[in-house]
Amino acid sequence: MTAIDTAVPGRKPRARPTFYFRYMVEPYLYLTPAILLIALVMLVPLVIGVSYAFQAVNLLRPFQSGWVGFANFEALWTDRKFWLALTNTFWWTLGSIFFQFFLGLGLAMLLNTQFHGKRIVQALVFLPWAVPTFLSALTWAWLFNPTIGPLPHWLAALGILSEPFNILGDPDLAMWGPITANVWFGIPFFAITLLAALQSIPHELYEAAEIDGATPWQTFTKITLPFLAPMIAITVMLRTIWIANFADLIFVMTGGGPANSTQILSTYIFTTAFRKLDFGYASAIAVALLGLLLIYAAILLVLRRKLVKI
Amino acid sequence: MRGLIGAISALAFLAGSAASAETLKLVEVITSPERTEVLQEQVDAFEAANPGTEVEIVSLPWGQAFEKLATMVAGGDIPDVVEMPDRWAGIYKDKLVDLNDKIAGWDHGGTLTQKTLDMGRQTDGKTARMIPYGFYLRAMFYNKKLLEEAGVASPPGTMAEFMEAAKAVSALDGKYGYCLRGGPGGLNGWIMMAATMNGDNTFFDEDGKSTLNQPGSVEGIQFLIDMYQNGYAPKDSVSWGFNEIVAGFYSGTCAFLDQDPDALIAVAERMEAEDFAVVPMPVGPAGKAFPTIGFAGWAMFDTTSNEDLSWKLIAHLSSPEANKEWAKRVGVIPIHEGAEQDPYFKTEQFKGWFDTLNGEQYVPTVMPTYLEQFGYFADSIALESSQEALLGEITAQEVADKWAEFLTEEYARWKAAQ
Repeated sequence: MTAIDTAVPGRKPRARPTFYFRYMVEPYLYLTPAILLIALVMLVPLVIGVSYAFQAVNLLRPFQSGWVGFANFEALWTDRKFWLALTNTFWWTLGSIFFQFFLGLGLAMLLNTQFHGKRIVQALVFLPWAVPTFLSALTWAWLFNPTIGPLPHWLAALGILSEPFNILGDPDLAMWGPITANVWFGIPFFAITLLAALQSIPHELYEAAEIDGATPWQTFTKITLPFLAPMIAITVMLRTIWIANFADLIFVMTGGGPANSTQILSTYIFTTAFRKLDFGYASAIAVALLGLLLIYAAILLVLRRKLVKI
Repeated sequence: MRGLIGAISALAFLAGSAASAETLKLVEVITSPERTEVLQEQVDAFEAANPGTEVEIVSLPWGQAFEKLATMVAGGDIPDVVEMPDRWAGIYKDKLVDLNDKIAGWDHGGTLTQKTLDMGRQTDGKTARMIPYGFYLRAMFYNKKLLEEAGVASPPGTMAEFMEAAKAVSALDGKYGYCLRGGPGGLNGWIMMAATMNGDNTFFDEDGKSTLNQPGSVEGIQFLIDMYQNGYAPKDSVSWGFNEIVAGFYSGTCAFLDQDPDALIAVAERMEAEDFAVVPMPVGPAGKAFPTIGFAGWAMFDTTSNEDLSWKLIAHLSSPEANKEWAKRVGVIPIHEGAEQDPYFKTEQFKGWFDTLNGEQYVPTVMPTYLEQFGYFADSIALESSQEALLGEITAQEVADKWAEFLTEEYARWKAAQ
């Protein structure tokens, strides 16, 4: 069909599309449905959401709405609760990701060996991931309750707590409650992804290392880690963004309390939007969080390019 | 059985086609399995009495009910009849039908207690936006065994005795005096204590200023802070909500619990009836106590397609018999006169509530739920700052000032809108 150079006698050659049309416009025509779809379901809501940050949108005061410029952000700057929530978000994310990652990595390494009943263990290990977060949050909240749950009594028996009380009620310790639940919930994600990456490392490398007399630690740092690095960078980035936005566990377990000690940005956004019904301000907080996470992601991607040499 | 159902449905179909089937949408917002069951039974009876009518019950879980109902209404999917908690009445008031005329023309309108009518008209004092279906009134549960062990002869009648008794029980190993509600829903306790120590429960003075930071009120707030900081309440009670305080009480961890009648259901299931009783809230220096009263009721949206039928449904749910049944199973104080003569309500436990209702010195306090941002105040501002105060991060005076400032501003806005 494309061979139009040889014109058939008695038949007029078909009109040829111009070069410009074929190479500059035509591809985009084919892409249009996808671009439209993406714009419709992703960009439009995003733009509307971000635009709320520059407006007064309060459901309780429908007549005072309108563009307010940076007023929401100025209020944000002097909002003590915002900075508190930001600090809490940092510790919540760091604490969760640290334990999730290292325990997940350990689990992946264990699962990467051969042992009897591996399939069953593998299935069981991934179970927490399948439990609805609201259910696990409720369960953990009651586990930490000394009237009903065993955890405070165990912690007291181990000497970690002076007496069996509920750590969710102690402003200094409360954050560990949701973090524990989140670690339990998030380990499988790291285990699954890292296990997949581990299994893709060529086995010959290990054999060669063994022949050369490398110690297990050397094998780990010189072969396993470099091969895992790209996957680690991506999963850590994804999970950080995910956890920083993850309000379910905290919302159900502590509701941000006591005295805001577990209030993170995403729970603060939720309370502002759906309790105060102030969508403008909630959106401003959300935009701030979005900006911070974008910066974080950019830094991590640059680091990844610098560090990973594959 | 199947034949019977078939016959009934055939009948219903015939009657329905005769009177063209009507569907009403009823939304319940404080949902629990037991409530839905009672409601379904009563609605079934309504449908049987009004052939051709169908009532579709939509049950919203309380935790998300506020957003869900707001979304439904904003999206035009507006129910005909709705279960309206007191604190939302202010938000929806302009969309609800005035029920005054309908109550006046109703057979059972005469036996509604004055309190019921007052509460139904609470948004502006005249328009009946709803018929309450029962009241949540605060009274003091106490654990008889713990009090006996601690050597406390009788349940406290005054605030000073309350503090003493709490101290005595806390001296027991691993036991505490008060099941303090520092977490969600704790605002009622603070308001009650503030009003009791202040000897007055008006929220705003004639200048529209909140009374919460008057010296007496601050003393009341200090009372609860002392209770907690002296160790008369469990350490983790700073974040206790409804489930935790009730569990704390029936497990015998703490001896006093101020709660509404709905807690009685959970407590009575797990404690022997002779081990606990309910008395009115302790009175303050002025010889008065101000237990909070809360309620929810049935209301009708003005977009309903069939106002008469919707009213019929509300009237059916609010009739003395249906309401008594509802009150028993849901745990509220019934709305019609003479209910306290029912054997179910003639117990040592219910005595606390009826004593409160009948005692001169007990003045039920209505939270200022008509304020637009009251929900936000109760669930966020008050919750956080009261926890900060309990933990010693801010003083009683600072909490009181913060609350008073917010409420004064909200009140001014409300007044301006009247």
